[in-house]
Amino acid sequence: MTLQDLRPLLPLLVLSAAIVTVMLVIAFKRDHRLTFALTLIGLVLSLAALPLASSGLPRTVTPLVVIDGFALFYIALVLAASLVVVIFSFSYLEKVAGNREEYYLLMMLATLGAVVLVVSNHFVSFFIGLETLSISLYTLIAYTRFERQRIEAAIKYLVLAAAASSFLLFGMALAYLVYGTMQFDQMSSPSNFSAADSALLTVGLAMLMVGIGFKLALVPFHMWAPDVYQGAPAPVTAFVATVSKGGIIALMLRLFAFVPLTLGSNLWNVFALIAILSMLAGNVLAVVQSNVKRILAYSSIAHFGYLLVAFLASNALSISSMTFYLVVYIITSLIAFGVITVLSHPQKEFEELEDYRGLFRQQRRPAIFLGLALLSLASLPPTGGLVGKIFLAAAGVESSLWLLLAALVIGSVIGVFYYLRVAITIFRQPEEESAVWTAPRLTPLAEVTLVLLSLGLIILGIFPAPLINLIEAVAARLG
Amino acid sequence: MTAIPLNHALILSAMLFTVGLVGLLVRRNIFFMLMSIEIMLNAAGLAFIVAGTRWGQPDGQVMFLFILALAAAEVSIGLALILRLYQQFKTMDVDAAHELQG
Amino acid sequence: MVWLFYLAAAVALFCTVMVITRLNAVHALLYMVMALLSLALIFFLLGAPFIAALEVIVYAGAIMVLFVFVIMMLNIGPQSVDQERRWFNLSTWRGLVFIAGILLIELIIALRLGFPEPLDVTEVTPHQVSLSLFGPYLLGVELASMLLLAGLVGAYHLGRREQERPKK
Repeated sequence: MTLQDLRPLLPLLVLSAAIVTVMLVIAFKRDHRLTFALTLIGLVLSLAALPLASSGLPRTVTPLVVIDGFALFYIALVLAASLVVVIFSFSYLEKVAGNREEYYLLMMLATLGAVVLVVSNHFVSFFIGLETLSISLYTLIAYTRFERQRIEAAIKYLVLAAAASSFLLFGMALAYLVYGTMQFDQMSSPSNFSAADSALLTVGLAMLMVGIGFKLALVPFHMWAPDVYQGAPAPVTAFVATVSKGGIIALMLRLFAFVPLTLGSNLWNVFALIAILSMLAGNVLAVVQSNVKRILAYSSIAHFGYLLVAFLASNALSISSMTFYLVVYIITSLIAFGVITVLSHPQKEFEELEDYRGLFRQQRRPAIFLGLALLSLASLPPTGGLVGKIFLAAAGVESSLWLLLAALVIGSVIGVFYYLRVAITIFRQPEEESAVWTAPRLTPLAEVTLVLLSLGLIILGIFPAPLINLIEAVAARLG
Repeated sequence: MTAIPLNHALILSAMLFTVGLVGLLVRRNIFFMLMSIEIMLNAAGLAFIVAGTRWGQPDGQVMFLFILALAAAEVSIGLALILRLYQQFKTMDVDAAHELQG
Repeated sequence: MVWLFYLAAAVALFCTVMVITRLNAVHALLYMVMALLSLALIFFLLGAPFIAALEVIVYAGAIMVLFVFVIMMLNIGPQSVDQERRWFNLSTWRGLVFIAGILLIELIIALRLGFPEPLDVTEVTPHQVSLSLFGPYLLGVELASMLLLAGLVGAYHLGRREQERPKK
């Protein structure tokens, strides 16, 4: 490693420095506002370091890390999403009894984990990034400590995530056994492999897939998602749905750009089955839910199933369509969970469908933001959700994956039904006694953020071309 | 040094992994579940050592060190959660998830 | 010396099975320590003496002691053994062992083909491991410190005893 290598690493270094600073400040002076401000500054500075890091790319810094345009794009996405979550968290945490400052520290550590995933080029950095993310999340999910459902959700997540990590590790070990290297870009094509080696590699990749599928909550590894989405504090749920999954998608795209996943192979068929099950089961199970956080959990299972369609197509459109859809999905989820967060109280989350009845009459602006997010989730105009889904479907059509596309269409139709059900509830007449909850106040910062996100969502629905061009430019380097 | 049939070492790691998985699936006591996870992590670590031995590289051992770091962090959080669960609700049963539906 | 490998493997497997079938948590822990010690022997035979030492010091020494601490803090007595006995239901075992057995058989089929010839193990010394750890893997070491920081902060926050519960 040389001094030259430090420059591309700048975003990571700034983030790490911010983590250490926040930790030391907490040790000397506990102050919620101060910690919040420092966290915001740290994340913004880290974002600001991205242009500085962008010269002389792509660059491999030690075997572990590679920084290229694709990585910078995803770092920006992860950091921005994390910034938004932190902004929404402030008013929620104000109401938490006990220590609030560690929340920000853990949030930044989890973000660092996701950033490491995005830049990793090696099993070691993959593993460490993933686990930094997970370990921070275990605590964040149980953060308020006194509600039983939080602790149960955290234990459930810990046990299942740790089991998934073991599968992942075993898969990595088998892949290392075959390739003789843990570096993604040195994993050569299996032309000279013996039958034994390719059998080992198939088993290894299948076990890797268990780990990745768990993190993305794909069927049949989705068991944790509804409980954790419901049990975690609302801002942490937002983090799990956006930052954590975004990091994994980036890693998956990078890993499978080198490790071959040929169309029609056994492994490919397993992936296809997982995708179909996720799209159908996610949407069908969402219909019967009466808790908004659980609905969004099942909906996210389905949405990552849609993403797999483009992934399995593995053609020129795959990476750009997946990235575009992910950007739209992250913006949409941030709006939806942002609204839930600002309406919630740590001891009484605003999550039952009944709670939302007549929201429009009482809380006009949050209701409009949430309505827009639901439109985008249902892929209706004028939002980015529609463009994104057409883009994904185009990738599928290009490789003529008709079965997968059929599942995508059926899933989307079911989806429209339950998203609109929530939307209609918001605009219905409130019941008389439903005015029991005191109307919470939106902080100006949170409100501006919600407005910006909503504008972004509409702009992506009407003028998607600039973002698509940008994504295609950064994705061209990969694969 | 000695000649060890590597496939037998690999099969041992697969067996240990499966035993850990069974333990994780059948036990309801969170304490035993954490121990089963340790077994599975160890089995994966063994597979890494075998892979490192095949290629005569230190990388497998390096990975084991990182697994060790993870195991320590994970166990400390897991045990802290168990303490919290037990002190407040006097149970070690993870299936008593009455609060969460389904 | 191959017999030593098979002996250690048998002990490790036996102890691991004992771990997951014990009713008493302390007994399970002792079997776990035994399993870890025999695994350490296997690591040594596979040419990884450094890892063998760490397995004993960190795993059997530190992590297992953490478990013992928690058992003592929770003061789990005979009533928990009774409860375990009630939970110890043979029918759940049968089904799950069957499913896991399928996985194991698949793994063994894939692994058995691999390297039928015994390999002459060359030792990878602690010197080589350290050079690698603080050379190409330097960033990994730095990031592991962040991982441990997350664990530390989390354990502190969750484990801290509160003076008073928040007002509902």
